[in-house]
Amino acid sequence: MSEISIKAEPRTEFGKGAARRIRRAAKVPAVLYGHGEDPVHISLPGHDLMLALKNPNALLSIALDGGSELALAKQVQRDPIKGFIEHADLILVRRGEKVTVDIQVVVEGSVESDAMVVTETGVISVEAEATHLPESVTVSVDGMTAGAQIHASDLHLPEGTALITDPEILVVNIVSAPTADELDAELAEAEADAGIERDEADVDEAVGDSVGAEADAEGDGDGSDQA
Amino acid sequence: MLIPRRVKHRKQHHPTRRGQAKGGTSLAFGDFGIQAVEGHYVTNRQIESARIAMTRHIKRGGKVWINIYPDRPLTKKPAETRMGSGKGSPEWWIANVKPGRVMFELSGVTEPVAREALRRAMHKLPMKCKFVTREAGDF
Repeated sequence: MSEISIKAEPRTEFGKGAARRIRRAAKVPAVLYGHGEDPVHISLPGHDLMLALKNPNALLSIALDGGSELALAKQVQRDPIKGFIEHADLILVRRGEKVTVDIQVVVEGSVESDAMVVTETGVISVEAEATHLPESVTVSVDGMTAGAQIHASDLHLPEGTALITDPEILVVNIVSAPTADELDAELAEAEADAGIERDEADVDEAVGDSVGAEADAEGDGDGSDQA
Repeated sequence: MLIPRRVKHRKQHHPTRRGQAKGGTSLAFGDFGIQAVEGHYVTNRQIESARIAMTRHIKRGGKVWINIYPDRPLTKKPAETRMGSGKGSPEWWIANVKPGRVMFELSGVTEPVAREALRRAMHKLPMKCKFVTREAGDF
């Protein structure tokens, strides 16, 4: 992935008051560290940083004081509800250096109708060159039946990428989906336990919904038969 | 319904309602979820009712995770009782949910099905909630 350039400004004042002033100016306080160098406190444009961090493992080129440094986002603090970036920790990297990053496991394809896909490990750690970091790893479950398992060692990683996560760890598990009767019995018991009463209208609505959902599933085609 | 098997103290003070969620603010297991936008006590009956509503909609397939647990007892004094004479008896079990907390997660279904299932579940919960999905670049 190509580098994303962001212009940074050095920070001279610290503490929550200063940090809040920076955030009010649509900027994000950040710190740049690594390679045994002293940490550098900077502020970054909020919108640019937000767009850059939408790319998984984005390689940032931080322009500061006439020079530029390559960095990866080590940790990002966000507002839990609004999602605004409150602070970013950036770690310095060099061209050709191998770094360890987390990448997402993307499951594609559809399994047999009586099976269900459970992603046990959604993120795996890999080691790769800082300038050639993979965004994700795709695993196909097309046509798999219940009982099939995909371990970390079974993943096809891009060239130059090494697995750091335990190779024996379970990534995707194909389990048998509960039958309609089993599900109904379990839900009826749960409803009785919780004291929920269902009248005829609810039952009709539920039946109608299930028919609608099945029709949607048929219309969607790939992968939607799990619904 | 979710109820603690054994507790150290049968009656407790009311949990604090201030602040935001410190953890559990992003999806950990599933691809879709319900995030609390405001804080509230959620009873075990509400949790169970929401779970039933979403499970009924997704039918077979799909997996549901419940990320909150009702481990705090709330007490109530009987009606027409004079004040005093000690604390009332335990009446409800509640989870103290703060804004930002992802309460339910869902995977194995398409987004339209998940959106509808979680919308139905949201109607069983006492607070304002929002639908969240896993996005690329999430930390």
